[in-house]
Amino acid sequence: MLLRAGSVEITHAIAAAVAGFARPGDMIVLAGEMGSGKTAFAQGFGRALGVTEPITSPTFTLVHSYDCGRITLHHADLYRLERTAEVADLALVELAEFDGIVLVEWGDVAGASLGDHLEVRLGVDTDALLSGDGDEELRSIELTAVGRSWSRRWDRLNTALEPYRW
Amino acid sequence: MLILGIETATAQVSVAVGGHEGVIGLFEVARGRRHAEILAPAIEFVLRQADIELTELGVIAVDTGPGLFTGMRVGLASAKALAQALRIPMIGISSLDLLAFPCRHSDRVVVPVIDARRGEVFWSMYRQVPGGLQQVAPPTVGPVDELVADLLARSQEVLCVGDGAHRYREEIIEGYHCEIGGDEHPSAAPLVQLAHARALREDWVNPREIHAVYLRAPDAQINWATRERRE
Repeated sequence: MLLRAGSVEITHAIAAAVAGFARPGDMIVLAGEMGSGKTAFAQGFGRALGVTEPITSPTFTLVHSYDCGRITLHHADLYRLERTAEVADLALVELAEFDGIVLVEWGDVAGASLGDHLEVRLGVDTDALLSGDGDEELRSIELTAVGRSWSRRWDRLNTALEPYRW
Repeated sequence: MLILGIETATAQVSVAVGGHEGVIGLFEVARGRRHAEILAPAIEFVLRQADIELTELGVIAVDTGPGLFTGMRVGLASAKALAQALRIPMIGISSLDLLAFPCRHSDRVVVPVIDARRGEVFWSMYRQVPGGLQQVAPPTVGPVDELVADLLARSQEVLCVGDGAHRYREEIIEGYHCEIGGDEHPSAAPLVQLAHARALREDWVNPREIHAVYLRAPDAQINWATRERRE
């Protein structure tokens, strides 16, 4: 599912729509290069779940956890890690299984070890940026379900995100 | 000699104290998976109710896994901290051994199965021998299908125990006719019993020699092609 976000506000709105379908146990991988909007997506996602504290990139703490009442939102960032054993040490799957929703920035490098998940790939239109006449805010957001956990929600998610289609 | 047993490899927190007279005190909570919050108060409670001072302990025994990363980190860190502070040795025992031990009188092959999450399980196999149990298949991690294939290949009378066996009961029974029973979680009671037998032989180690057994995929360099491109 390929979506188009022309502003940070739309990235937030798309993230909020995805959050509406998220449930405890979910793992959501945020992929995309530096500055592509992974943290913006996480902020929109967290706000929709009721997180009131500011959500910042957890690059130096590896995992931030936000208590949202019944569930806990865990926001992880693998950017600083060098080895797969370090990823295993974070036990992200266990955090998800224990009434958590886990957002993993740069999680695509460890996708196979995370089990079923939703991949959110954010992209910047670099050609437009370089030519100087493009829309600097424009982002592409591609959602891919890995495994079966999102397949039953897929149609409804599709409908909810219809307005943002590329 | 008094032994404190600490067990946090699954969703359960289990603490026991005992010695030559067997298990004197045992405290277990199997709900909530709040290892960090429960463990220290549980140790304090068990010792106080059993009227044992920390300084009377001679050995700290700990479950070294395989099991939950989040649980074992708490158990091992607490156990090592206590042993170091009290300057006493440690005995580490596998979670699979602890699950199998209570079934040592079974004439079937005992297969402890621990939930490894993501549809995978840890398992090993034990057979009754005079005086106890002998491990006949080494600890392995894999999808439930692989466990079933292993059971089929060996084709023996089997008793599966542990939270993995209970969680995947139907898939296991569908693939291989066997009994699912026994305990869901390893307990600190057999941990203290098994550790006591080893303590009598002074078969113990320094805290720094105790390591968790995760049975995870081999460690590898992360392929950071995407990150390097931007740097």
